Amino acid sequence: MTLSGGLTRPGERDRPIIKFMEVDWTFCLVLAMIAGVGGLMLFSIAGASWEPWADKHLLRFGVYFIIMIALAMCDLRWWFAAAYPIYGVGLVLLVAVDLVGDISLGAQRWLQLGPLRFQPSEVMKIGLVLALARYYHGLSSDSARLSWRLLIPAAMIGVPFLLVAKQPDLGTAILIAATGGAIMMLAGLSWRVIAALGALAAVAIPPFIMFGLHDYQRNRILTFLNPEQDPSGDGYHILQSKIALGSGGLLGKGFGLGSQSQLNFLPEKQTDFIFATLAEEFGFVGCFGVLFLYGAVIFMALRIASISHSHFGRLAAAGVTATFSLYVLINGAMVMGLAPVVGVPMPMLSYGGTVMLTVMVGFGLVQAVRVHRYTEVTSGKGSLM
Amino acid sequence: MSEPSIFFFEVNERQGVFHRRAFLLGGLTGAGLLALGGRLAQLQLVEAQRYQKLSAGNQFNYRLVPPPRGLIRDRNGVSLASNRPNFRLIINKDKGLDAEAVMTDLQKLVPIDEARRARVLKELDRAPRKAPVVVMEDLSWEEFSRVNIRAPELPSVTADMGEVRVYPFGGAFAHVIGYVAKVSDRDLAAAKDDPTQDQELLHHPGFRIGKQGVEKAFDKELRGRAGATKTEVDAQGRVVRLDPAGDVPPTPGKEVLLTLDADIQNRALEVMGEESGAIVVMDVRNGDLLAMVSAPSFDANRFVKGLSGAEYKALAEYERKPMLDKSLTGVFPPGSTFKPTVGLAALTAGIDPEVRINCGGSWYYGGRTWRCWEPRGHGSQNLHDAIKNSCDVYFYQTSLKIGPDAIANAARAMGFGQIYDIGIPGQKRGNVPDPAWKKRAFKKNPANQIWFPGETPSYGIGQGALTVNALQLAVMTSRLANGKKALVPRLIKSVGGVEQPSGAAVPDLPFSTEHLNYVRGGMAAVANDVRGTAYRQSQLGLGDVQMAGKTGTAQVRSYDGVKNRKGYATTWRLKDHNLFVAFAPYDDPRYAVAVIIEHGGLGGATAGAPRAREVMRVALLKDPEIRARIERPAPLPEVAPEDVMEGAAPDDPVEGVAPPAPDVGAPPAVPPTTPQGGQR
Repeated sequence: MTLSGGLTRPGERDRPIIKFMEVDWTFCLVLAMIAGVGGLMLFSIAGASWEPWADKHLLRFGVYFIIMIALAMCDLRWWFAAAYPIYGVGLVLLVAVDLVGDISLGAQRWLQLGPLRFQPSEVMKIGLVLALARYYHGLSSDSARLSWRLLIPAAMIGVPFLLVAKQPDLGTAILIAATGGAIMMLAGLSWRVIAALGALAAVAIPPFIMFGLHDYQRNRILTFLNPEQDPSGDGYHILQSKIALGSGGLLGKGFGLGSQSQLNFLPEKQTDFIFATLAEEFGFVGCFGVLFLYGAVIFMALRIASISHSHFGRLAAAGVTATFSLYVLINGAMVMGLAPVVGVPMPMLSYGGTVMLTVMVGFGLVQAVRVHRYTEVTSGKGSLM
Repeated sequence: MSEPSIFFFEVNERQGVFHRRAFLLGGLTGAGLLALGGRLAQLQLVEAQRYQKLSAGNQFNYRLVPPPRGLIRDRNGVSLASNRPNFRLIINKDKGLDAEAVMTDLQKLVPIDEARRARVLKELDRAPRKAPVVVMEDLSWEEFSRVNIRAPELPSVTADMGEVRVYPFGGAFAHVIGYVAKVSDRDLAAAKDDPTQDQELLHHPGFRIGKQGVEKAFDKELRGRAGATKTEVDAQGRVVRLDPAGDVPPTPGKEVLLTLDADIQNRALEVMGEESGAIVVMDVRNGDLLAMVSAPSFDANRFVKGLSGAEYKALAEYERKPMLDKSLTGVFPPGSTFKPTVGLAALTAGIDPEVRINCGGSWYYGGRTWRCWEPRGHGSQNLHDAIKNSCDVYFYQTSLKIGPDAIANAARAMGFGQIYDIGIPGQKRGNVPDPAWKKRAFKKNPANQIWFPGETPSYGIGQGALTVNALQLAVMTSRLANGKKALVPRLIKSVGGVEQPSGAAVPDLPFSTEHLNYVRGGMAAVANDVRGTAYRQSQLGLGDVQMAGKTGTAQVRSYDGVKNRKGYATTWRLKDHNLFVAFAPYDDPRYAVAVIIEHGGLGGATAGAPRAREVMRVALLKDPEIRARIERPAPLPEVAPEDVMEGAAPDDPVEGVAPPAPDVGAPPAVPPTTPQGGQR
């Protein structure tokens, strides 16, 4: 910020050293703190050992952090130009996974590309944000409010949603749809349409749960509604997570002393339910602290979005923030027994490379928006303003 | 390239909308985060205690330790039911257990045949979650260690050491003590709502419940209270750490002491041989039961393990009914063993014992011929002779003179028709008939309600509707031998060190001592007069320690038209029951014995008396005072044996010294007319 005053000369902002200084380092520090807490918890769960999770978690964070900084250096115009191609690649991959993907745990989510094994839905999370931001960049506020042109962003959201839901990966599909919806809302969608869509969802969801879901998906939801029905079967996850949380109390049981996680009562303790481990060992105080860090990340990211001079930058940064917020809120609600068990991890805290990479790439975009906040992005027709 | 598609004001408007909406979105997210914080506060601050309890319940497991079952001992402390170590193999029905695979693994370690495998798999299928199922018991040490070494690879398998009930004497006490067996579904259902029962203990695979006899009647006392070992476990139920400080030791069950004597009991079962029947031995001074045997018997240890279908079938279908306790539940007509009681009734009714009745082998009354067992007749009989010879004709006529009510009163006073509280269930009352009983019993058949005069002579010789059990016969004999007290039997000496009430704390018999002595004289003659019905079979061979007794035959079928019953061969089921009651020493009674040999044949002397004699010998030889008397015979003058009859007071230490002449003052009213001396 302090630099901006003197950076008025043309081309001055394109110097790499200036760009590097323009990265929001407070933001990076908070991210590192969250990842550090994650490493600490993984160290504890493994029985005070860096193996097998904590070391990899921190190493990954380090590598992805470098990727994030590198992406932050990329010109926003490059991001703009790459938006549709990335979205297109994501779409192709989603179709490919449907045809030739690996089946793991009854769902087709993984694609093997040479030595790489990844989930195309993760590419789509970034691709959709970029593509929508680019589309809205060229759309007038009236059109963004309500017009037939909105069928295009609706289709941009709908196609990947259906493809991911078909895998089936309902959690990611909902995340994609919600992110897309958030961007449409931020772009200025009419409140009437939002209200109408909300009402439609309220009417359509119950029959969808009963008839449109796989048995295991329906059971998860029904179990969530009544977890004590089968405490050692499907309700086990929720119940054990609540026990871990509740038994932590105000100050927690102490580092490495969480019986629920150490003795394996807590399922998926290193991934989806790592927040419960944290709650058990560090109590209310520790949890509140971590939630505060997440809040800070979201606040800072939204602030970056709002100071951007380009509509593309605003929407892209806000879209990434929305995705991140949804991760935190859904995982938090699930761990605390407020939402059904869906496979959504706590970003930066949970062990697992895919989601961390997605989030860090997303934050690379957010940082790029900050670094290039004064950059003039081309118009919707591809021309420079 | 040509014209900007977005006008300036539009840009501003888009930016404005975005800012407002971004603010809203940020607010929503903040509210969401606050909601999560609120939920955290609810769980971690408000409900923390509840979840801390649940967490501890997860983390710590109290593994139940069954209490050692209380021992059952005889009067001398010999253990009749104890516990031995038992190495067991148990599969816990954990979540995701692959029973087939586990069984296949186990089959490589220990011998498990296909039938057992199938049975265990079926049980596992039926068992509720987390319930343990026993795969094998009584593993050898090698098998036990082989499984234990591989325990880490077999997480749901436990090889542990428990205890199992063992009955060292096998069948000798099977009916009295009963046995323990697996807790059945019916037991569980019965105990379900009983707050005094430890439900968890009942479900423990090593736990056994008393099913019969003392084991059943004193089950709760013998059971004890379960303890627990505190262990820290992981989600798979594997023990992570032991916490000995949190262990609760089990409380062993109480010890039950019986009045029985293992030596006498064993001898009693031994002498029964292949025969079916019962022997009861009682201490006539205090009512303690020294032996109570039913034969044939069975090995109670087999029931602890669980009987195979074939074994059970063999036991249940055997003609001589091994599982039936014949000493308590078997009721028989007492036959001639009832004659001393009728004699007492006659004396009480004022009949002069010296009035003689002539027996010519039969007697004509009421339109039919009443036969004496001795077809040649006994000649002129007084009461003493009639008991000694068991003369039926004398008792036919005498009973008619005194009537059924007098007989029934005497029978009840001697202990017939009653159930005694000896601590274990299963007694049959039998039946002491009288006119009032007939009215009750034949409610639907008024024609049969009256007491026919022809029923009385049968009653007089212990036949007809009269039925008794072996315990009642022993009580009758004990009361007669005691000569004073209306003794009741006692089987349970103490429970957990608490002495049970003695059978001697009872009122006196409603008979005069003179009459009792007279009848006992007759019984002495049965055993010691050369013409007595059981003379040869009743000689103890213990010097001057002699037995008095009474033979008996209970008809199973009618012998009308059969001339000579002795030579009347028939199948086992149709043979007469053979009974014998006795007490000894005659001059200072200590022990009474009652023997019933089911279908043992005519005349109590043949089957009953020799067995009574053998059992009596063991009882007498175990008594140190009697031993002293036999080994150093007291210099009692042969000339006046009647004086010593009641002489040696039971409490006198006879050790080596000549007993003081007790005949002067101690016995209250010894009639000098007792005919024993004369009969010799």
